[in-house]
Amino acid sequence: MLITGIKSRPVYDQLQPLPGGTRHIIAGQGSGGRAMLRLLSDMAGLDRPITLLYSQESFSGQDFLAQLQQYPEHALHVHASNQALIDELKTLLGDAHMGTRLYLAGSESFLGSAMQVATHFDLNHDEVLREHSGTLVRRVWCVHCDSYTENVTQRVYDCPGCGLTLVVRDHYSRRLAAFQAVKADAEVPGELPEAEELDT
Amino acid sequence: MSQNNGTLNLRVARIESVTPEIKRFTLVSPTGAHLPAFSGGSHIVVLIANQNNTLRNPYSLLSSPYDTSSYQIAVRRVESGRGGSVSLHDNVNEGDLIEVTPPVNLFPLIKQARLHLFIAGGVGITPVISQLEELRLSKVPFELHYAVRGEEHAQLGKELQATYGEQVHLYRKGIESRMEIGRILADRPLGSHVYACGPDSMIDAALSCARDLGWTDSHVHFERFLEQSSGGEAFSFTLGRSGATIDVSPDQTMLEAVEAAGYSMPYLCRGGACGHCETEVLELDGELLHTDDWLCDEDKSSRKKIMPCVSRAKCNRLVIDL
Repeated sequence: MLITGIKSRPVYDQLQPLPGGTRHIIAGQGSGGRAMLRLLSDMAGLDRPITLLYSQESFSGQDFLAQLQQYPEHALHVHASNQALIDELKTLLGDAHMGTRLYLAGSESFLGSAMQVATHFDLNHDEVLREHSGTLVRRVWCVHCDSYTENVTQRVYDCPGCGLTLVVRDHYSRRLAAFQAVKADAEVPGELPEAEELDT
Repeated sequence: MSQNNGTLNLRVARIESVTPEIKRFTLVSPTGAHLPAFSGGSHIVVLIANQNNTLRNPYSLLSSPYDTSSYQIAVRRVESGRGGSVSLHDNVNEGDLIEVTPPVNLFPLIKQARLHLFIAGGVGITPVISQLEELRLSKVPFELHYAVRGEEHAQLGKELQATYGEQVHLYRKGIESRMEIGRILADRPLGSHVYACGPDSMIDAALSCARDLGWTDSHVHFERFLEQSSGGEAFSFTLGRSGATIDVSPDQTMLEAVEAAGYSMPYLCRGGACGHCETEVLELDGELLHTDDWLCDEDKSSRKKIMPCVSRAKCNRLVIDL
């Protein structure tokens, strides 16, 4: 089975104002706050409503809340967890109208989960931009027990869900927002692939 | 149903007048076989023998994609055209055989849509009819906004109202108020898609309203029906590979002239929409008259590409890579 060299990881963008939008929603997490601030300065003078969503959950401990609060003219919704932000994003998009533009900034896990919501509402490539920040630690989905493991950095690891030793494939599923992992010695029991650090 | 050169010979089972100008043709296989499957928004090309060449007119299918025992097309009689539609109206009778190409779809429904909005005018309703048929098995909501020139042109619209009820909004000139595209597109939920088919002015209005309201191109779909391919002034051009000179008469397209001269080239829509016939311009002394929806403005001004299915030239010399 092909393990490496699968080109399915999304190619992320750099946030910049999308033309024609009548409303802009900017959602970010942790170090993604830096890209949010850059985008806000690029949008200075834009006469369209901007809504900011920020989650303080961060792998590296970076927090841009204080800087984001320097923009009192834009509604700012702060969340303690990425999941809470994504729940609010779902509500927000459910009430939003055509003409909305969405900007996402943060970890790959955050971007993937937010894109699941955006895709549910049929937001297309000309309505959403995603900027990655921080490391490329992977969210991995075990094909055997259907559990997800965050922040995986090793090619071979033991699944906390079912205990099997798994190998992480370079196969990213946008539907699941995770890389796929399969039993590492399925072909020849006991024969494990070489351990290596993933390209984080 | 015999096939030659990839075309189908179909029997005209029924011809009905649906407006003073539009006749509906029902086409079946002479052997009773099922016809090739198609999806909502598809069209076929009808081959119509003219004095000394064959006209190829595209017509949308308006029958149900879930029933391939027949195809239906609606043909509007265009007196000022090249004679294809007039020939179908005047010379084709029930029981006759006609030659058509298998269906192709350049105006499909978007499967991810959360709301479909159809904006149609006149005979532009035709692709929408099969799209609505396809939506019968879908739970995604839709609205049809359909403008016609008056009561006597409203039969297809009234048939649709009888089938789909309040989802069909009919705008008969002199009876209902004018269709306001800006209001139709305003405040729609995310994931809405608009499909416009009708006269150029209606399509252009839909495109401009959508843009003003912030709709992105990926949610806006349209199909122009050309007045049976743009005629124009006669001109000549050269095929770069064979050196052959092709004369284009005022009522011919470049593509038809190429075919009439015994050459073939790729095509699908014959309406400047699909991009199949895009051809490189090798030499040009004069102007290209672009009328397609395929090339971007940059390509059009580059003088390096042309869509021979609709576009023409006003030139002393034109050599294309064919």
